[in-house]
Amino acid sequence: MMRTHRQNPSKDAKLLQIRGVSKSYADQVVLDDVSIELRKGDIALLVGANGSGKSTMLRCVAGLTSFEGTVRVLGADPRSADGRGLIGYLPQLVALPEPVTVGEVIGFFARLRAISVRSPEEFASAVPLPAGFLPALASPIGSLSGGMRRRVALAVALLGSPPLVLLDEPAASLDEEHTASLWETLQALRAAGGTALIAMPLMVTSLLRHDLASVADRAVLLDQGRVVHDGPVDSLRPSPTVGTGPALPRSSR
Amino acid sequence: MNLPAVFAVAGWELRLAVRGRLVMGTALTFTVVCVLATLLGLRSLSDLGLAGVGPGTGALINLAILFPPLMGIMLGANSLSSARERSLLPLMLVQPLSRVGYVCGVVVGLVGAVWLTIGFGFGASAILLASIAGTADVAGLLAIVGSALGVGVVSVAIGVAIAALAGSRIQALGLSMGLWFLFAFAIDLVLAGVAAAVHLGPAGLFVGILANPLEAGRILMVLASGADALTLGPFGTYLDNTVGTAGAALAVLASLATWTALSLLVAYMGISRREP
Repeated sequence: MMRTHRQNPSKDAKLLQIRGVSKSYADQVVLDDVSIELRKGDIALLVGANGSGKSTMLRCVAGLTSFEGTVRVLGADPRSADGRGLIGYLPQLVALPEPVTVGEVIGFFARLRAISVRSPEEFASAVPLPAGFLPALASPIGSLSGGMRRRVALAVALLGSPPLVLLDEPAASLDEEHTASLWETLQALRAAGGTALIAMPLMVTSLLRHDLASVADRAVLLDQGRVVHDGPVDSLRPSPTVGTGPALPRSSR
Repeated sequence: MNLPAVFAVAGWELRLAVRGRLVMGTALTFTVVCVLATLLGLRSLSDLGLAGVGPGTGALINLAILFPPLMGIMLGANSLSSARERSLLPLMLVQPLSRVGYVCGVVVGLVGAVWLTIGFGFGASAILLASIAGTADVAGLLAIVGSALGVGVVSVAIGVAIAALAGSRIQALGLSMGLWFLFAFAIDLVLAGVAAAVHLGPAGLFVGILANPLEAGRILMVLASGADALTLGPFGTYLDNTVGTAGAALAVLASLATWTALSLLVAYMGISRREP
């Protein structure tokens, strides 16, 4: 029996509400009064240079770290019993266990989410990825390249189409062909009304702005833990300091 | 608690454990040593024209108190710390499963791996005993097995608690080996060395035993194998006079239960308060 959440929120519902979120490690401020809202069907890029707070923001939304402020997913605190399971999450780095196979990994996380993936039809429905994107299900994780392992982890994040998907640099380790497949997947997610917050390094967004415009509605630019721009993807202009600092929004030219 | 998810985690941990070299290596070694100890015990008895598990029991109890707890504490220490270092812990904690449910699933799965090892080792011994010396002494062996299973639970819980608190996987494994050495040898040596000098007395010795889960397990196995408290010598006489054999068994069982509960509480607090 596949559990799906996609039909739950209405089109206009605020699916994700981030209000005044701040986070510090010792005396270093990582996030400073960040507020973002996503409605159902919104796909937003969270863009910033290294250390700008993107990953920490996603960890706050996933309920994995303490913070000041409020995060609600479908009105629930993601750290609460009601909020758990509403989020699919792809960490920036994840090392899946090597002795198990791709099928066993997918099967395990499907069981956690009470999703059946026994028949090919159920599997295709539960794992919304293009054919050929995943390696063979019988392949041991230990035999896969870094990019292939990344694809398995992405499948885990998208498993069962959770109401909110958080992807931390999903294109890392993917080659050109599979990056294109990733965009297809995200386009399909967007077409199906999925909601996602995707952290992207500034360099990648600068290089792939045109691709990303077909995938995401918005780009939220983080600089030193603060939101400095929130607008269409096209509104971000390439920066002469790509990869070393935040790009400036067009409005600031 | 989401029980299907807890059992899914338990199955996952068991699968990962049995495919690891630690469990396979320990299970194989433990089985071989158990068979050798049983054969040597039977041989010494047949030379005397007797039958039974008697002399082999001591060796089997010592094996049960050394091998499975070492494996259990190391498996436990490796579990959460490895998941944290591999960034699997955040992946687990966004699933529809509470943190206490996740810890329970990990412990159940790893206890399953330790129990499999104990089952292999003592299973081979039981088959040997039943085929050579008859089934009369198998009941005593099964009682030792039951106690060993309990010690396995304690050791896994302590290992998971270490993993929840340690800064890294290497630190967790180092701490777990150090603690196992402390429980298995060092505390005994210290007690033996200082008991007379500080006039510890049998009451102090009993407290020292209850504070050491492996020693408590050893006493439980001796008592469970059918022996009464007097088998433990002068200390056993003290136990017999004060709490009796049943009272001593209950006290060591309570010690093991307390160690398990406290360890699980520490593991839960560790995983709840630390960032995954």
